[in-house]
Amino acid sequence: MRIVFALGLLVVSLLSGSFGYAAEWGDLKLTFVYDGTAPVATSISVNKDPQYCGPFGLVDEQLVVNKENGGIANVIAYIYTRTGPKPAVHPDYAATANAKVVLDNKKCRFEPHVALLRTSQTLVLKNTDAVGHNTNYSTFSNPPQNILIPSSGQVEKKLTLAERLPAKVACNIHPWMTAWLVVQDTPYAAVSNKNGELVIKNLPVGKWTFQFWQESGGYVASVKQDGKATEWKRGRVEITIEPGMNDLGEIKYKP
Amino acid sequence: MSRYLSNSVSSRSFVGCVVLVLLVSSFVGCTTKAKFSENAVYILKQERDLNVEISPQQRRDIAEVLAGMFGTPDKPNVPKLGGIDIANVLDATQLHVASGPVSSDERGRARGLYREHCAHCHGVTGDGAGPTAAFLNPYPRDYRMGVFKFKSTPKAGKPTHEDLRDILANGIPGTAMPSFKVLPNNEIEALISYVRYLSIRGEVERELAYLTADLVEGERLLDVTGSREDRSEQAASIRETAARVVQKWVDAESQATPIEAPDPERDLVASIKHGRELFYGPIANCVKCHGDSALGDGQKTDYDDWTKELEPINEEALEQFLGLGNFVLPPRNIHPRNLRQGVYRGGRRPIDLYRRIHNGIDGTPMPATLVIGDDAAAGTKGLTKDDIWSLVDYVRNLPYESISLPPVIEQGYQRERL
Repeated sequence: MRIVFALGLLVVSLLSGSFGYAAEWGDLKLTFVYDGTAPVATSISVNKDPQYCGPFGLVDEQLVVNKENGGIANVIAYIYTRTGPKPAVHPDYAATANAKVVLDNKKCRFEPHVALLRTSQTLVLKNTDAVGHNTNYSTFSNPPQNILIPSSGQVEKKLTLAERLPAKVACNIHPWMTAWLVVQDTPYAAVSNKNGELVIKNLPVGKWTFQFWQESGGYVASVKQDGKATEWKRGRVEITIEPGMNDLGEIKYKP
Repeated sequence: MSRYLSNSVSSRSFVGCVVLVLLVSSFVGCTTKAKFSENAVYILKQERDLNVEISPQQRRDIAEVLAGMFGTPDKPNVPKLGGIDIANVLDATQLHVASGPVSSDERGRARGLYREHCAHCHGVTGDGAGPTAAFLNPYPRDYRMGVFKFKSTPKAGKPTHEDLRDILANGIPGTAMPSFKVLPNNEIEALISYVRYLSIRGEVERELAYLTADLVEGERLLDVTGSREDRSEQAASIRETAARVVQKWVDAESQATPIEAPDPERDLVASIKHGRELFYGPIANCVKCHGDSALGDGQKTDYDDWTKELEPINEEALEQFLGLGNFVLPPRNIHPRNLRQGVYRGGRRPIDLYRRIHNGIDGTPMPATLVIGDDAAAGTKGLTKDDIWSLVDYVRNLPYESISLPPVIEQGYQRERL
């Protein structure tokens, strides 16, 4: 009898583990603000296809800071699960589990600058420009690719392994073009918007470690939270998620 | 320039030292043992990219794990990795023949083949930084990234056994890599095995450095002082990492891109003309890098993936990398092939050129093409297989085409685009 009960418990725990219906969920929000005077974006000298790419007024996107509120765009965050259990997945994410994530060559830059991809999703590389591009991504765990994508060309790729860090994407024809590809096996990844706001939705409540990364500084390690200097070792910090909105407020950062 | 001057001065005193060492060792017997050197460039790259410091202890851990798995240049070891038939990739007997100091036994069987034929350019570690490397252009290949240019497999695939054999047998035209056709078959086989060994060892080293960069202070790759459970978990994760690298070499043997021969009855003149249109046109876009006259002068500021690790366009970073030691060679730009010369590094046969265009060239800016009916998404632009053969025909004809011929097609195309 006791064995049956134990088996029952095991089945229940396995089910809850694999289907992951946690009782409660919470959102995580942080706002990354540049610590100091916002640097001015440097414009790019367009030396390839100048007639086509010149008029787009391209700027270096390594560090994009909002002039008005100091918000840092393109700070990347994802749940860190090298050690410890995988988080349960909120049912809302099922709808996008097999979605296509587009990385476009548009107006002589990559759109978006940071593409978030789950291992269950499909990456679509395309070129809506009138000029030819190549998309050269240097993933570490997945096979890297370098594909010539003509105007109106399109190709789909599956990346089945999670990448520990964002992978660089480049175009060799237009050397200023850079993007970053985040490949994770959970849906819990986000990138900050032009106001520096970053939101990861519907996390299971409890303690989780999050990884923060920014293009020009690597791991987001030295930050100021509530005006106090804090060290997030290797860009990682443990955060307790409670039901509802968990707003950590402004995080001051200078890469 | 000053770098070269100081090199030549120090190399003179180096020669003096060598003479002295030789004199002394002839009396006392030579005891210097060949050693694998650390991939200091990749460690520094991790530190710079991620804004972290990899401690001396952590670096020693990487070296010790590698020594445990792969042995030394005199006594190479084939690591045991459960679930993988590693003997198909690395043959212990062949490694023994290729490794060690140059010598032969009483029956005249050679040993130390790698050091006899390869190490002076490619280095004992396979880092492409042997004593003669600095004087060659292009620099010899650094095997440790696990990336090879001239092969039959698609991007990110390892070369097949046959691919490495072709390179050893034929050399690489236009470079310092000679043909080793005169070596007996078993010696070529031994060298193939040893190149794979150095490449696998080097790639595992990179993976371990990558894992190490993620550890916080106090955490270790393999902690011999830790608990038994921790240790076996760490060891399992290291073996898994190595197994992934070896598996890629196993997989390569069945990954060669299948190629259908072109129609031998095709109209060659028409095919060359079509190839020329593609060369200058927006789909194949060859002109962007190979230049208006196919002289390889369309894009001369880019770097290959090995050189990019030194951050060559960031002066402060480059200085730091070059400061690591003389094994870091000053960066050179990678230039697209000058297609007027008829010299092709990966081979001049039509099938060789087809592979370069179809698969691109790993580690370089040369991309793979999107093939209609294959990987190009339905209804989108790309090249057909016949288009690629036409490009091959055109490229093979380029050395014989007058360079001063008015580029009618090109002008027409440019007018249309502007």
